[in-house]
Amino acid sequence: MIALCGIPTETPLEMVREQLARLSVPHVVFNQRKFSEWDIELEICNGRVAGSLEGEGRAWRLEDFRGVFLRLMDDRHLPEVQREPPGSSKRQYCRGLHDTLMRWCEVTPARVVNRIAPMGSNSSKSYQAQLILQQGFAVPETLITNDPDAVREFLREHGRLIYKSISGVRSIVKTLDDADLDRLRQIRWCPTQFQAYVEGADVRVHVVDKDVFATRIDTTATDYRYAHQQGNSPATLQAIDLADEAVNACVRLARGLGLVFAGIDLRIGPDNRVTCFEVNPCPAFSYYEGQTGQPIAEAVARYLAGKR
Amino acid sequence: MWLVVCHSTDPAALWAYEGLSQRALAPLVLVTSETLGCSRRWEHRLGRGGCIVDITLADGTRIESRQVRGTLNRIQWIPPEMLAVGVPEDQLYASQELYAFFMGWLYSLPSPLLNEPTPQGLSGRWRYPSEWQSLAGQAGLRTRPFRISARSHDAVNAAFVDTSVVHPGRRTVIVLAGEVVGDDVPPEVSAGCRHLAELAETLLLGVDFDVATDGAWVFAGAGVSPDLRWGGAAFLDKLASLFHRPGSALERS
Repeated sequence: MIALCGIPTETPLEMVREQLARLSVPHVVFNQRKFSEWDIELEICNGRVAGSLEGEGRAWRLEDFRGVFLRLMDDRHLPEVQREPPGSSKRQYCRGLHDTLMRWCEVTPARVVNRIAPMGSNSSKSYQAQLILQQGFAVPETLITNDPDAVREFLREHGRLIYKSISGVRSIVKTLDDADLDRLRQIRWCPTQFQAYVEGADVRVHVVDKDVFATRIDTTATDYRYAHQQGNSPATLQAIDLADEAVNACVRLARGLGLVFAGIDLRIGPDNRVTCFEVNPCPAFSYYEGQTGQPIAEAVARYLAGKR
Repeated sequence: MWLVVCHSTDPAALWAYEGLSQRALAPLVLVTSETLGCSRRWEHRLGRGGCIVDITLADGTRIESRQVRGTLNRIQWIPPEMLAVGVPEDQLYASQELYAFFMGWLYSLPSPLLNEPTPQGLSGRWRYPSEWQSLAGQAGLRTRPFRISARSHDAVNAAFVDTSVVHPGRRTVIVLAGEVVGDDVPPEVSAGCRHLAELAETLLLGVDFDVATDGAWVFAGAGVSPDLRWGGAAFLDKLASLFHRPGSALERS
């Protein structure tokens, strides 16, 4: 049995569910928005995990699950609890249910895509960059500082800089321009991340266990995800084959971060030098699969079912 | 240079600083969260040259990561002083940025670093009681059955992390770099504690037990920022020895 957790109409979840159905793999969808119709109980005894999941008039033993796919939204923001006062019994139940589900996912021997703890690495880009360096990838030359003079010197050294958040919040990449230089003194209050601009083509690599799907993205935007907002034409995507060395490095990187499923953002320079920007532990792969036809959802479904 | 990085309200860390000062670790610098909050200058570089951090504290003390030979890291939250400025709507963003920044610079400190920051805690990975119970069972420690449900999760978790309750017979065992501190711990418990620290990929771990009147040691919880005073002088000796050891860089998890 496979558990799919999230909102059934969310595209990545639906795509994995379709593939499980196509492969005739038994599965159940835990619909967050109907949380009040679900219940979970977790028991741990001498390191063994047991318990039950109940919903839609049925019950499953937790020990019978072989795989779990997580695409949960923050349960505190579900529309069903938005009008509930803080501390209401409905809110508490919603939180308790999701929390217990998370606790189970941390300890179950089932295949979980992805477990919670390793998904945290990209909450600090400077932390994750060090893990990426340890796996042998190059990362952009980076300066995080509260010293405007250090930034000006870094700009002189590299010619063109971008800046972006260190955490996962407001994570939009922008080019440092004259207007930014005029307000640079504001970084005194909060160390800010600057990076040397890296020339080359953007490549998103989805790793599912040992399977690798590389997509080249052509765009004129600084951050292709926001090409339209940054006044550029929409990005175009194309499936490509990476060199074996790069394929192996991506698999090693995902594994090193403890991720079964990862979206790795690379830039490949004119000299074929590969630079890794970051690793997304919860990639919205449907955008890439929809544009290229790469069988990413099928790979996830097969992994969950133990078919690879 | 060796560092003790902690909050000024952490008596166990201040005790460790005093104890290490008497064990020929010089210069040993106490860096409290308050002094970090008032730092003059931060610089963290990453790239072809590796990873370098250079901090200038308010009193002019400079901390360069390449000069650091070992760190006891007890920081658990970002200094509130650093959040005292800025408009309210930016404070959540600022707190996330600063947490991310702290995770990055603490991780860049050379080994031995006890403990390394993780996304689940600046001084090591915080775990829910359910996960500790699972790991403790796998490590061969005696555990009580643990049950949690959608309706009981608050109460169960709270009971495990409530430090205000005094438990008669509660005992904390300190594990440091794969060794249990203290010679009064039963061998099977000692082996289980070492295995637990290994499973938790943690260099410095406190493991709590309820010691029953029949002498049974029952697992009661674990944490990455234990009260180090349980380890006494033996702990300080081992920590100083670890910091002094030539090439004592411990492999990172």
